[in-house]
Amino acid sequence: MTESMTLLAIQQHLADLEAISFVAHRDVRIALPQVEKAGEAVTLEWIKTCRILFEHDRDAGKAFIRGSQQAAEACPAILTWTQVALRFTAWRGSWKAMNGFMEQLPAACALLGAEGVARWSELGLAWCDRHLDSGVAYFNCPVARFAGSLGVAGIEELVLPSVELFASRRLALGSYLHGALRVRDLLGIAAVAQWAKRGADILQAGRLRGEAFFRLESEESIAILLEQVSGFRLDAHHRLYQLILRAWFDDGLDILDSNWSPDQGRAFVETDGRALYLPRAMPDTETAMLSVLHAAGHVFCHSYEQADIEALFRAAGMQHPPLDEEQRITWRPLFAAFGADMVRFQLIFDICEDLRVDASLARRIPNYIQRLLRATDIQQMPDGAPGAYYAWAQRTLYWLAGGAPVDETLEFLRVLLQPDAAVLEAWQIATAWYARVLANETGAAALPPITLAERADAYLPGRSPNAARPVYPRHSRDAKGQSDADATDSVAGEQELKPPAQTAHLPQQAAGEDPDMDIPPEDTAGSGGRVGVGIPQPAHVQGQARGPEYSEKGKPYAEWDYRDQRYKPQWAWVQEKLLTETDESEAARLMERYAAVLKRLKRAISAQKPTRMAPKRRQFEGEELDLDATITWSVERRSGMAPKSNIYRQRRVQHRDTAVTLLADLSTSIMQTSPHGGRVVDRIRAGMLLFAESLEAMGDTYSMAGFASKYRDGVSYYTIKSFDERLNSHSRAILGGLSGRLATRMGAAIRHALSGFDAAPSSRRLLLILSDGRPADYDDGGDERYLQEDTRMAVKEALDCGVHPFCVTLDVAGSAYLPQIFGEGHYTILDRIDDLPKKLPEIYLRLRR
Amino acid sequence: MKALLKRLRGVERDIIQAPSEDAADAPFYQPQHNEVNIFEAAWRRRLPVMLKGPTGCGKTRFLEYMAWKLKRPLVTVSCHEDLTSSDLIGRFLLEGDQTVWQDGPLTRAVKVGAICYLDEIVEARTDSTVIIHPLTDHRRQLPLEKKGQEIEAHEDFMLVISYNPGYQTVLKDLKPSTKQRFIGINFDYPTAEIERSIVRNEVPDLPEALLDPLVALGQRARSLKDHGLDEATSTRALVYAANMMAAGLTAQEACQVALINPVTDDTELAAALLEIVRAHFPD
Repeated sequence: MTESMTLLAIQQHLADLEAISFVAHRDVRIALPQVEKAGEAVTLEWIKTCRILFEHDRDAGKAFIRGSQQAAEACPAILTWTQVALRFTAWRGSWKAMNGFMEQLPAACALLGAEGVARWSELGLAWCDRHLDSGVAYFNCPVARFAGSLGVAGIEELVLPSVELFASRRLALGSYLHGALRVRDLLGIAAVAQWAKRGADILQAGRLRGEAFFRLESEESIAILLEQVSGFRLDAHHRLYQLILRAWFDDGLDILDSNWSPDQGRAFVETDGRALYLPRAMPDTETAMLSVLHAAGHVFCHSYEQADIEALFRAAGMQHPPLDEEQRITWRPLFAAFGADMVRFQLIFDICEDLRVDASLARRIPNYIQRLLRATDIQQMPDGAPGAYYAWAQRTLYWLAGGAPVDETLEFLRVLLQPDAAVLEAWQIATAWYARVLANETGAAALPPITLAERADAYLPGRSPNAARPVYPRHSRDAKGQSDADATDSVAGEQELKPPAQTAHLPQQAAGEDPDMDIPPEDTAGSGGRVGVGIPQPAHVQGQARGPEYSEKGKPYAEWDYRDQRYKPQWAWVQEKLLTETDESEAARLMERYAAVLKRLKRAISAQKPTRMAPKRRQFEGEELDLDATITWSVERRSGMAPKSNIYRQRRVQHRDTAVTLLADLSTSIMQTSPHGGRVVDRIRAGMLLFAESLEAMGDTYSMAGFASKYRDGVSYYTIKSFDERLNSHSRAILGGLSGRLATRMGAAIRHALSGFDAAPSSRRLLLILSDGRPADYDDGGDERYLQEDTRMAVKEALDCGVHPFCVTLDVAGSAYLPQIFGEGHYTILDRIDDLPKKLPEIYLRLRR
Repeated sequence: MKALLKRLRGVERDIIQAPSEDAADAPFYQPQHNEVNIFEAAWRRRLPVMLKGPTGCGKTRFLEYMAWKLKRPLVTVSCHEDLTSSDLIGRFLLEGDQTVWQDGPLTRAVKVGAICYLDEIVEARTDSTVIIHPLTDHRRQLPLEKKGQEIEAHEDFMLVISYNPGYQTVLKDLKPSTKQRFIGINFDYPTAEIERSIVRNEVPDLPEALLDPLVALGQRARSLKDHGLDEATSTRALVYAANMMAAGLTAQEACQVALINPVTDDTELAAALLEIVRAHFPD
């Protein structure tokens, strides 16, 4: 074809296009000059492609033509991409993919090079071939993000797991890609493979759950991310931090998990004035320690003092600090006044307030500032706006560390170093400083406007945004002024107010209800699942209690009916469940509270440890002579008597081979307040904890379980610790979070506990039942005697198989029915609920003798 | 005198030793409160004394000092769970063809008018705690059951027991009837200032710069008592740590081996203690 013929052909195509569509013609005209640079032959090919695509699908054609100008600019090899574009005609409705392709093409050319673009398009076309929507997702993914720092290899590696997932589980790329990108950004490519593998399993178990996993919307997914996240794990060291707070501040704070997930950016320790919220991981131990100290510093150095905060709000022109429904103070209005520049002011305020707190901490903790400075030196100074704030914060610290020498530019901060400085001073200094920064005053720091996204980088290691959470105001300054009695009162009062925080963190089980009741029967609302691809399952899975046994009826036991004087076979159904409610800090608090009691118990136990070598004196045989007995013997011999020859000492292990199961009644009634104050359940938690700790010290085999029931087919049996487990922080946390629900079908629970003794190695077996009332259930028809008689029979069965049951009850009226059930002397009534924690292990010690 | 004692090291001595007249031999004791006065008053009236306090706070040292001050010999018996009454009072021994009575440490002390110190009395078997009853009231007698005799105590005899409330147990506790026969003196860990002078005196070659942080850290570590730490960091342990430092260990190492390793196997608690150490002695 000659040049003129080519030109003619181009003109012809243009004319045809004009006839078909005004818009297409116009857009072609716009792109044409750029394309023509490549020569007439190429132009002809291109314009032909435009026409073919346009005729195949108007939208695809438009997308191609519109994208062409920029594509031609970025990728002079026009023919390669026009050929790729032509292949989109293989599918109907491929215009969305085409659109994405053309949009990403310039970036792809710039980043990946010619070969990379070819590979990128190949992979994408393969996806279009598999599943067009996935192809759309592929081509619409911004190439820069897609490739990461690895070029086209990054794309290949990222997409690879999803090919397999699509083949085996029909998971669309769109569902996978977004999450995978985030996982890769956070944890690297290696983690993506792990994450995808786990996701595939979950997907097999349930469509919706799996898809939620891949969209990073389910807790499972976040949990896996947290497992993979690198750095120092704080979640395993809550106790350490509690001890540290105790050591430096002579006071404890609750340590809770902050529900931080890696995609939320930098991990900070936060506080609400009552508890510290720790992320699961932080970059290193030192940062974690400094963060905990600093956050606690805010709490103990009066950042959240009620009077001070009130003064602060007054200074800001507000009468009272706004409270939320939990009586917490919300800081937001203070900063909202600064409008769009809120973040800048917030950072300035935080520099001031952090300086005040760090100065105060430095007086308490030696070398604190030096450590903080070392950490800031190691960390790389952030670029841009955050860097300016970082540098300023660092500068104030150096000033503080150097003993605050006279420095014109820092003099305005000196007030904050005084021991009696309060949050109000920090606020006033910050507002003045902010005004000077705005006015661009000479000598004022050049602190540029900053966005919320950049804010996290502006903090020094160990520091964090101070107004991150609404806070419970503290009253430590008031309490100091009061007499001792008043002070303890106010502490007690504070504890009374506390429960909301706890319940807020434990939504899984409302107290007094069946933990499984609040799980919706089946969440069939559509959220992305497709017809015919498995049973829909809820996207969010709470708790672990819904294993495969959830739908099963459990294990049946016979029940004794005294009216017929016979067993009703397979009558009561027991389901083994797990308690999902945990409260580690409650457990820690209880341990702290009962430390003295526990110590006494442990001493008592060590005196009768099963393996202690106790010398037996005046034995007829033994390893060594009992000196006194021998001398007496020879003296008596010599004086002509015929003494008995019990002159030996024996050292023998006095083995008490005992296994015990502590079976606790977890019915609703334990949630009641006891007449002596405090809830019954608190004492039960403490009692069981001390029991566990004592037995752990003693070395006896033991297990712990709780039970509750609703109707004969719904007896829940919660194993808290089995015989072969050791007491660990999880079982402690479960004990700390015990709560009551439903009724007391004791007989079935006893029978189930008996079957558990099969796993116990010991010959002496003890079943310790902790109860607070008579056996009862919803379906006993008000006949108290029915379940009572059944329990009596269960006790008899227990004795028959060599298990000795003993009941500890909190029911002061227990003597009315316990003798009939357990027999005289086989039960104990605790009149004072407060004694339970101490008494429970003691009772066991007495029983096992 | 000290030179003489040095030569006597490794040689058996009788448990009853007249205290040294030499002022240079005085055991170092830094009074915390009025305990010296109380003890002297009890001594004047010959009343038995009970020293209460946590381990390593200076009970034994106090008694050594008082014995020296009052110029009485001191007989110390460390009680253990197999200690019988004959271990205290005495027993018949076979010697050749005859049996010979040998006085126990308590009997010796009663005879010569020494101060008898029963350390950690709760550890002893109850039968041995009961035999001191007649010695601790107006009778001041020691019955020798096996010989069918009794001894009126020497005019200067004095009984002192120590009793660590931390060891108070459900099963092991002094009977109230025993407890109420004593004058009780409470001991606790000294204040920072006193502790400083104690460590100073015990380890004179400790570099001055290490002294203050060491004492501060000891005081700080005590706040962890009852939070997993059964016994708080004692003054004795601080003296040990100071010794290890003076012997060339780094401050952190010395604290690790003297203050942390011995008292706990709990890793979290050890980490918390180490954190306190590192704050006072940065790397």
